Amino acid sequence: MSSLRTHTDPGPRPFPVTPRLAVALSIGIAAVIAWLALDAPLAKLVPGEGGLRVVRAFFAAALHPALEYESPVPEGTPHILAQALAAARRTVVFAAAGMSVALLLGIVLGFFSTTAWWSGDLAGGTSPLRRAYARSLGPTIWTAARASIVVMRSVHELLWAVLFLAAFGLNTTGAVAAIAIPYGGTLAKIFSEMIEESPRDAAHALRAAGAGPLQVFVFGLVPRAGPDLAAYSFYRFECAVRSAAVLGFFGFPTLGYAIAQSFENLHYAEVWTYLYALILLVVLLELWSGALRRRFVA
Amino acid sequence: MKPSARPLSKSVSCADPDAWKRARPGSAAFELHGAGVVFSRRTALTEASLVVDPGEALALVGPSGAGKTTLLRLLNASHVPTSGTVCVDYRRLDLLPPKELRAVRARIGFVHQDLALVPNYRVLQNVIAGSLGRLGFAGGVRAMLFPTRVEIERAAVILERVGIAAKLYQRTDSLSGGERQRVALARALYQEPSALLLDEPVSSVDPARARDMVELVTAISRERGITLVVSIHDIGLARDHFPRLVGLRAGRIVFDGPTATIATSDLSALYSLEGLARVEPAHAH
Repeated sequence: MSSLRTHTDPGPRPFPVTPRLAVALSIGIAAVIAWLALDAPLAKLVPGEGGLRVVRAFFAAALHPALEYESPVPEGTPHILAQALAAARRTVVFAAAGMSVALLLGIVLGFFSTTAWWSGDLAGGTSPLRRAYARSLGPTIWTAARASIVVMRSVHELLWAVLFLAAFGLNTTGAVAAIAIPYGGTLAKIFSEMIEESPRDAAHALRAAGAGPLQVFVFGLVPRAGPDLAAYSFYRFECAVRSAAVLGFFGFPTLGYAIAQSFENLHYAEVWTYLYALILLVVLLELWSGALRRRFVA
Repeated sequence: MKPSARPLSKSVSCADPDAWKRARPGSAAFELHGAGVVFSRRTALTEASLVVDPGEALALVGPSGAGKTTLLRLLNASHVPTSGTVCVDYRRLDLLPPKELRAVRARIGFVHQDLALVPNYRVLQNVIAGSLGRLGFAGGVRAMLFPTRVEIERAAVILERVGIAAKLYQRTDSLSGGERQRVALARALYQEPSALLLDEPVSSVDPARARDMVELVTAISRERGITLVVSIHDIGLARDHFPRLVGLRAGRIVFDGPTATIATSDLSALYSLEGLARVEPAHAH
């Protein structure tokens, strides 16, 4: 009967709006509402006469970054290249300090926010004590770890920096903490996900050979995710270098500080010198981490 | 086909509370009494009773899905039976405190079908991981990161015995399938086990290598007096190398006895698809 109908009469069609169409339509409507609410006419994207001049001057300077300061500097000021190098070094130091603490936080919180250490057969044991532990203490710690990760991650490093500036003033520890907290949260989240998703065959084998839960976790589970964990940590270190540079805009002595100063003085060529230093830094890190990845992962 | 031709050993049994005192340190004894395993939607093993005496070598034969792996995993306490009991060295596993259960597991070497090695470890680390069950956490970290000369030598001796002495410091994932299988065997031997359990050692390598592997494990367990239980679906290989065969089909033990006494018809019936469908339609997969 139905085959007959397809030839002659398609029959009563259901309501024409399928779920998929409904989703597509609502996205479209939401876009229009957002556009109107934002009040963002395209005309505002076209710069005015003065704006154009600044843009042109800025990008023209990209071709000839400053090799000397563009205005007289006090006696004893180091050469601009030395200055850029020193700022780059401080940027790396800030990033490395922040990342070191973040790694520690990431490893500890990452461990506690996996389920492998307290639930399921990897944690092992069916004794009443074990079961009680898997029902109460385990989930409690797990939830606490997850919650603190969310708090750490949901506040951006620049906001943490503002917070610490207000609380402690311009102080290196504050800058390091501003990087370490959100990065530690992100590392913990990603670490725990990578560990949960890594193959568990070796972990089960160690468990079967009598290894304890912590041994199983450290030697059976984590190594399977090891290359991914390392690669992701390197990537986050690159991000930390950029974050440390931007923290300079708040007055910390990184590349951002030098960039902000030159920019305020309209010394675009100097800005480009520092920008190139930053780019060079990121490229070098990329090459280094790439080489390490090839050595350990491939 | 008669179920379980071999009567349960009357001389020593874990029903006797003092029997464990007679356990031999170097070779384990196993007993299953009416053991069943039901996973959430599937019966893997039904009413399995089996006695394995210290130092015995036997093969579990049967088609895939017959319950061979489940039975092996009962023996090393990876699975807890849904019904019935499992004894190792005349002690009921369900009555052991966690610490002693760990100790039991540490003395049973298991070579998994998928080998379950850590591919990015060096061979040495994978082998030394076999000793984690005997070490505490700190001791384990020390052994894995800073193995002593003695530990390295022990690992080297075992690797030489299994025929891959030169691979000690190679990354495990750079080895061939057959070599990796030997690493898994070396890890099990590094446990200084009183029993070796092998799950389908034949499936991951070609037939010639499979024969070598079976010859190797039977020789090693004979020279060390280790109890050996191997699951294997290649009947020929099982007949040639094991004095006792246990046939499984659709989760039940269908024969058990000295290899010479098992009729060829029993063996072929094990694999006939027709019978399988008739016996346990719900469990065939």
